[in-house]
Amino acid sequence: MTEKQTQNVEVTPVEEVYAKRKKIFPRQVTGLFASFRFSGVLILLGVYYFGPLIQWDNRQAILFDLPARKFYIFDWIFWPQDFIYLAALLIIAAIALFLVTALAGRVWCGYACPQTVWTEAFLWIERKVEGSRAKQIKLEKAGWSWGKFRLKFTKHFLWLALSFITGFVFVGWFTPINELMDRTLSFELGPWEAFWIFFYGFATYGNAGWMREQVCLYMCPYARFQAAMFDKNTLVISYDEKRGEPRGSRKKGSDYVKDGKGACVDCSLCVQVCPTGIDIRDGLQYQCIGCAACVDVCNEVMDKMGYEPNLVSYTTENALNGKKESLFRPRVIVYVLLLSVMSVALFASIAQRIPLGVDVIRDRNSLYRETDEGMIENVYTLKIMNMDLKNHRYSLAVGGVEGLTVKKPKKGIMVDAGTVLNYPIRVQVDPDKLKTSSTELTFYLNALDSDKLSIEVDGRFLGPVYK
Amino acid sequence: MSENNNTVPKVQRVIAILWPSFIVSGIATILFFTAFDPNEIIGCVGGWDISRMGYYSIGFFLFWLLTSANSVLTCYFLKPCAVNQKK
Repeated sequence: MTEKQTQNVEVTPVEEVYAKRKKIFPRQVTGLFASFRFSGVLILLGVYYFGPLIQWDNRQAILFDLPARKFYIFDWIFWPQDFIYLAALLIIAAIALFLVTALAGRVWCGYACPQTVWTEAFLWIERKVEGSRAKQIKLEKAGWSWGKFRLKFTKHFLWLALSFITGFVFVGWFTPINELMDRTLSFELGPWEAFWIFFYGFATYGNAGWMREQVCLYMCPYARFQAAMFDKNTLVISYDEKRGEPRGSRKKGSDYVKDGKGACVDCSLCVQVCPTGIDIRDGLQYQCIGCAACVDVCNEVMDKMGYEPNLVSYTTENALNGKKESLFRPRVIVYVLLLSVMSVALFASIAQRIPLGVDVIRDRNSLYRETDEGMIENVYTLKIMNMDLKNHRYSLAVGGVEGLTVKKPKKGIMVDAGTVLNYPIRVQVDPDKLKTSSTELTFYLNALDSDKLSIEVDGRFLGPVYK
Repeated sequence: MSENNNTVPKVQRVIAILWPSFIVSGIATILFFTAFDPNEIIGCVGGWDISRMGYYSIGFFLFWLLTSANSVLTCYFLKPCAVNQKK
C-alpha cells in the first residue's frame, strides 16, 4: 500500500502473522450492494449451518459420509466408484466461475466466497461488541483497561463460539450430525472428530477474525489468476476519473464546475469502507475483491450532495471509454457452450447410472486347479455392490468359453441395499476347449426384479494348453 | 530477487511453504482415498486398528509432510548459487 492510498485513513500499524500490514477497520456500509451481500451471507450461512439438519427417508438428506465411504444427496447415493461425477461437478463449478468472472468480475469474491461470508459475520459481531469504526480505532489506540479487556474478551469469546459451531457443523457434513451431537454432548467424541472440529474452528477464527483480507491478497489462488478471465467488457468496480477529477472538498450547493473541480468531494469514505484498504480512485487493483462497498457509500454521498450517482460504479472498461459494450464475446460463448455440454452430460450420465457394480477378483493362491474329472477350474470372488436404495436379487451367468460350467445359485444372489457382497464362484472348463493359456470370460449379472439393473464385467480364465 | 527475499518476513516464507502444500495434500488425500479404502489396505498388509477417519487424517498429514518437503526444496533451490550471484 502506498502513502498516497492511505493518506485519508486512520490506521494503526500492527505486526501481523502473515505480513506487516496496517490493520483495517472497514466502516459499515448500507445500500443496494450491501443488502445483496447481507442477504447472500444469510442464505449461505443458513445453508451451511442448517443443511446437515435436513432429514430425508430417516437419514441426513445431504451427507458426505467419509467414514462409510458413501455420499448421500437426497435419493442419490454415490460410491467411490462414482468419483468421475464429483470430478465432472468440480469442472462444471470451475467453468461456471470462469463464466461469472468473465461477465461480472469478482462477484464470487465480493458476495459468495466463504472468506467474505465469514468475515462479514465476524465483522458484525465486532461491531455489536466494539461499536462503529471510529470507536474501534479509538479502542485499538487506547491503553489496556478493564473496559478494553472486557470488550476484547467478549468479542473473542463470541468469535471462538461461532468458530467452534462452524467446526462442528463442518464435521457434521461428513459424519451423521445427530450422532455427532449426541457424542459431543456426552463427551464421547472420537479423537479424529474432535481434532477436525477444533482444526476447522481455529481456521475459521484465524481466517475470519485475524487474517481477513490477507487471505485474499496472499493466499487465494483465484485472486491471482482471475484477471486472466477479464476483458474490456467485464463488469468491474471503477471510479469515473474524467468526472471525478480534480477532486477536492467544497461547500454543499457550490458550483464545483465553475470552481474547476470534479465531482469527487474527497471525503475518503470509499477508502474507509474498503475491506482490503485500497483507494478505488487509483484504478483497478488486484486487491479489489469487487464487494462494491465503495459504490454504495459514494452513491450515498453523491445523493447528499445532489450529484448524479455512480461516480464509483459497476461498469466496464469499454463503457468508461465510451466504446460499445457487448455481452456475447467469443470467450463468453465458449464458456457457455462448455458449461452446457458438461452439465447435460453429467446429469444424463447420472440419470442413466446403473446402481450396480461388480469387481471380479481372481483367487490369489492358485492360477488354476485340475479336478478329479479332468476339468480345469478357476476360482473367483465377485464383489457385488448394490448401490441402489432397495435390496435386489441378481441372476448370474458366465460366458466366453464353450461348454463351461459354473455352480449357480438357484434363487439368485441376494444383496442388501447399499452393501457389498463377496460371492465366491468356481468356473470349470474342459481343457480341450481352451485355445490359449488365458481366455477372456464375461460375467453377466441381472437383477431379477428389474431389466435395467444389468451389468457385464470381463475376467480371465487361466489354464494349461495341451495342443 | 535475493534483495526482495530479504524483505519478505520469515513467517511469510514459512506460510508460503505450508499453505500451497496444504492445498495439494488435500487434493492428494481425496484422490488416494477415493482409490483405496484404508480398511482394505489393512486387510492386505496389516496396520493399526483405528477408524477410517483416523487413516484419512494420518494420510492427509503424511501427504502434507511430503508436499511441504517439496515446497522447502523448491524454496531452497530458488536461492541463486554463489557463482551466479552478481554484485
